[in-house]
Amino acid sequence: MLAFIIRRILSAFPLLFGISVLVFILMAVAPGDFLDVARSQEDIPAEYIERMEQEFALGEPWHTRYFIWVGNVVQGNLGESWIYRVPVTELLWQRIPATLVLSALSILFALCLAIPLGVLAAIYKDSIFDRISSMFAYAALSIPEFFLALLAVMFAAQTGLFPTGGLSSVEHEFMSFWGRLADYAHHLVLPTIVLGMGSVASYMRIMRANFLDYIRSDFVTTARAKGVPEGRIMFLHVLRNAINPLVSGSGFILATLLSGSILVENVMNYPGLGQLIFEALMRQDEFVVVAAVLMGCVMLMLGNLIADLLLAWSDPRIRLEKN
Amino acid sequence: MYAVFFALKKPLFEFLYKFAALPKLALITCLLLVLFACKGEIPPLERKDHPLPQDAEVSEAEPGIYGGFLVTAESQQPRTFNPLVAEDAYSSQAIGRFLNGLTTYHPIKEEVVPELARSWEISSDRKSITLHLRRGVLWSDGEPFTAADVIFTFKALFDERYPNRYQGQYIIAGEPIGFEKVDRHTVRFTTARAYSPFLYVIGFIGILPRHKLIDAYEQGTLLQEWSVRTAMHEPGELVGTGPFRVHSFRPGQRIIYEPNPHYWRVDSKGQRLPYVDYLITRFVQDRNTSTVLFASGQIDAADIAPGDVVGVSRNAPLHGFTVHHRGPATGIRYLWFNQKPGVNEDGRPYVEPHKLEWFTNKYFRQAILHGFNREGLIQSVYFGRAELLHSIISPANQRWHNPEVPKFPYDPGRAIELLEGQGFEFREGGQLYDKHGNPVIFDVYASEGDDITPQIMSTFRENMRDLGIRVRVRYLDFGTLVARISRHFEYEAAMMGFTGGADPSGGRAIYLSSGRLHLWNPEQEEPQTEWEAKVDELVYASEETFDLEERVDYVHRMQEIFSEQLPLLYLLTPHAYAGLKDKWQNVHIPAMGSVIWNVDELYLDREL
Repeated sequence: MLAFIIRRILSAFPLLFGISVLVFILMAVAPGDFLDVARSQEDIPAEYIERMEQEFALGEPWHTRYFIWVGNVVQGNLGESWIYRVPVTELLWQRIPATLVLSALSILFALCLAIPLGVLAAIYKDSIFDRISSMFAYAALSIPEFFLALLAVMFAAQTGLFPTGGLSSVEHEFMSFWGRLADYAHHLVLPTIVLGMGSVASYMRIMRANFLDYIRSDFVTTARAKGVPEGRIMFLHVLRNAINPLVSGSGFILATLLSGSILVENVMNYPGLGQLIFEALMRQDEFVVVAAVLMGCVMLMLGNLIADLLLAWSDPRIRLEKN
Repeated sequence: MYAVFFALKKPLFEFLYKFAALPKLALITCLLLVLFACKGEIPPLERKDHPLPQDAEVSEAEPGIYGGFLVTAESQQPRTFNPLVAEDAYSSQAIGRFLNGLTTYHPIKEEVVPELARSWEISSDRKSITLHLRRGVLWSDGEPFTAADVIFTFKALFDERYPNRYQGQYIIAGEPIGFEKVDRHTVRFTTARAYSPFLYVIGFIGILPRHKLIDAYEQGTLLQEWSVRTAMHEPGELVGTGPFRVHSFRPGQRIIYEPNPHYWRVDSKGQRLPYVDYLITRFVQDRNTSTVLFASGQIDAADIAPGDVVGVSRNAPLHGFTVHHRGPATGIRYLWFNQKPGVNEDGRPYVEPHKLEWFTNKYFRQAILHGFNREGLIQSVYFGRAELLHSIISPANQRWHNPEVPKFPYDPGRAIELLEGQGFEFREGGQLYDKHGNPVIFDVYASEGDDITPQIMSTFRENMRDLGIRVRVRYLDFGTLVARISRHFEYEAAMMGFTGGADPSGGRAIYLSSGRLHLWNPEQEEPQTEWEAKVDELVYASEETFDLEERVDYVHRMQEIFSEQLPLLYLLTPHAYAGLKDKWQNVHIPAMGSVIWNVDELYLDREL
């Protein structure tokens, strides 16, 4: 198993290399550059702009900047943000906790809601519950996340039950530990729901379909014949078999939640990675952009690796070593 | 490792089995909601009694009472707290909360007033200025402020290792300004030629604490100091003389300032300013959000766009605020034609020769402006909350704006007259042709991503069609537009806006024929037209005299030339509105600049 993990990690490097080259080329092809904002300000002298052009190697072709960047990476740093003049890793670390919390919470929210709902929909197939939950699932799938986020902000503004955005309130710094925790929780409710809603619907559909496959299996009949309680059959035996596709699919969740959160974070004013990446993209702060893109890829690969491990764990029939 | 996984597996599925008890979830939610109900409040600040500096400035404002917190919102957060790194207004604003310059611009009096320098003398040859610093002023960490700090700041500014945007401001007639320490509380600056905006520009740079930054300066790492990281983890390191110091900074969320316990301004009762316990700036994604926050009473002050005034005002009685009309905004928006002669690297002319002939003809430019129904635009797009712009300096800048410049109101008849006078003629289908028989067609580039621009451009296109001129509008992203107009010069006409500063010296890059933003034909070696030479002359003359009235007169004459020649067709300027809660006292809203420019003097009326 260790060999499997090592192999997977090693195979990631050529991919990351390719992606970083691609990002640099795309940034070079995109019109304008980081200094455009400075160029349009009347009181910034031309000499200063020239100095900056030299410092950032902006007049050079993209591969010059790429080699500078690779040189940095080999030494273990991802370069410096041009906007903030702070190492990129530092900048990302300021934002990662907030995004991770939000992503983890929305995955948890999605799973906690989708699994029981999917199971129930399968058990009570064609009942009114099944119909309503299907309808809900299709509706949730068809609403784009950013629109849901807008609705949530409107809801918060209209009712005043929830804050309209952000991660903490103005009084946060002056609260006790528990007060701060509650404050975070209060702010997280709406973003979690918005980000998790789409996944709830799709997981529920997957769960339902798989569950239906297994509910007609022979082992279910056997268990029933042996007198095992119905709930135990459904939730222990059938669920364990039916959950596999959900587990393998969860590898993508990490990556999709990250990309989904860019929009949601911007609409809901949530101080996560999304905001940072968006700003870096708009200003063409190259090292931040490439670091963010690479991080997204790493997340995707890690997610898939974890999903594979989980699958092997939950299903004894799968053996990773043999692949 | 694998075994541990397997040991965990069974209980997990057991748990899932029991999970059918959804009511528990509901219970937890209820509990959480109860927790939300007990929100924290900001406790009043305990102020320590530090002695007042010998040269404390006594504020002219009415004395107030301590307490309260003021919340504002900004659409971008500071990128740095280091003035040598700062490029954008948001960072500069944050730096201005805790650092002071030697002088500052008073937006109500519209003149330069003392800040860390309490007074100054100008030598008889007007090339050297001696500034007397306030005595007894302490940095926020209790260290004394002296001339050594001023010298340190300017040495850092001109250091080769630390390129920064201020250097250019302090290079006068090609030479860096000279600076020397006279004694502990006196510094002398010398300039290569007499330069009257000097007292204004000298205030731009916040004076840095030598004792805090000297080590980094010597190690060559000054630009890495005072980043967002410092503000997050060690806000106490951001030492300044300003009214506030940073209490805490959370990227993407907010910055909280608390009063500087050693600040050098007091009120007439001898109470040290500022009155507010905390100044809080929230970071929001865009200006609409801050408008919504203001309208729902969550922040104390906000700029309101002309289109939002009615909607926001509806909530005024509910949340106790007023939307103040500030008159015309400082921003100016204009359209101009590329007048750059010559060819690019590939040997192609920047502008086709026959078009260059139109664009360099002032009557052609005047006709275009006469033919543009800006008055209609003000009614339809701004609902009357804007006015025509006639001069390169916005009417918001009352001291320098010249109201008596040539004006070109909507008058299509006059436009046609002007065009025909220059040999243009109408042919079949109402199309306009020049005297060589070329149809009059041009492209206008504008920046996308702002909802007003397309409305202005479509009106312009319609109006031009009435004159027989075909206009094609192309939208570019901001970066591409800037590259086109400032580097490649491959465009025929473009539209853009700029925000102006208080002193006309800030506009040199536009006015001077050698300027980088002399948009229509930038960076000329020698002025290429007579009137541009005249403008250069007037700009230099205005900078050499220290007599304010004389300066104003030069700047007025410069504006007359610009409005007559119309290298830039000034379009219009929207009115500015600012919302502020009524509970704040000592509010004086200036025509331009921040509404809470005197935040140290603002205090809370507890009854409102």
